[in-house]
Amino acid sequence: MKLLRTEEFKASTAQLCQIRAEVRQACQLMHYDDADINVITLAIDEACTNIIRYAYNGDESGKLVIKIFQHEEQAVFHVQDFAKCIEKSCIELRKKKLLQPGGLGLQLIHQVMDSVQLIPPPDGVGNILELKKRLPTG
Amino acid sequence: MTYQQTTHLKYQQLHLTGEVDLHNSPIVRKQLLNILNEGSSVLVDFSALSYIDSSGIATLVEAFNLAKTKALTLTIVGATGGPLQVLELTNLNKVFTLIESLEGIKE
Repeated sequence: MKLLRTEEFKASTAQLCQIRAEVRQACQLMHYDDADINVITLAIDEACTNIIRYAYNGDESGKLVIKIFQHEEQAVFHVQDFAKCIEKSCIELRKKKLLQPGGLGLQLIHQVMDSVQLIPPPDGVGNILELKKRLPTG
Repeated sequence: MTYQQTTHLKYQQLHLTGEVDLHNSPIVRKQLLNILNEGSSVLVDFSALSYIDSSGIATLVEAFNLAKTKALTLTIVGATGGPLQVLELTNLNKVFTLIESLEGIKE
């Protein structure tokens, strides 16, 4: 996999705007159209939001790392935290009623990305959420 | 994100500018619930909104449900681009009333 970008952020909601800007810029460089840039940015933002809310429980001393790779015909996004390891079931898509609160961020991530999975972090600490999206054709 | 609250006919209009995310959606929530609890229907103006995440959408759902219990309305005005995509992805474009502009609003 070819690493395109690595960015580290504080696990703070104040960082979300900067995270989105970085993801948008990387997507533009990979020639995604505006609609795809919007939904990829949304998916990464939702992943980071879930880390801030649930992995770190609002503790802003935590950090999160975003790595963006290009691999064959796909963009690969790794969103890494250094909090307690979570079960794979935490990122599985659950059936949800339209106006039912909760779980909307995860639903959006699954809807807009081609692949969503947890992969083992290299030193066994924390979690890496791997999101893949097919690169634009032409 | 910044907001401006104005009156349009019998409605309170909340004009949102910029990006709504977990950092600022509590501000939007407070404004929307205040408007509804004071007894006014609300127009949420998305025309200058460039981004909304699930926390913003959850805020709209909560306000929509509160409006229904009070026989009031919540209408989204001028949604385009990313925010419209999110409403479509969540199918909430079929639940909320969406209008292109204020021209169709009557007393």
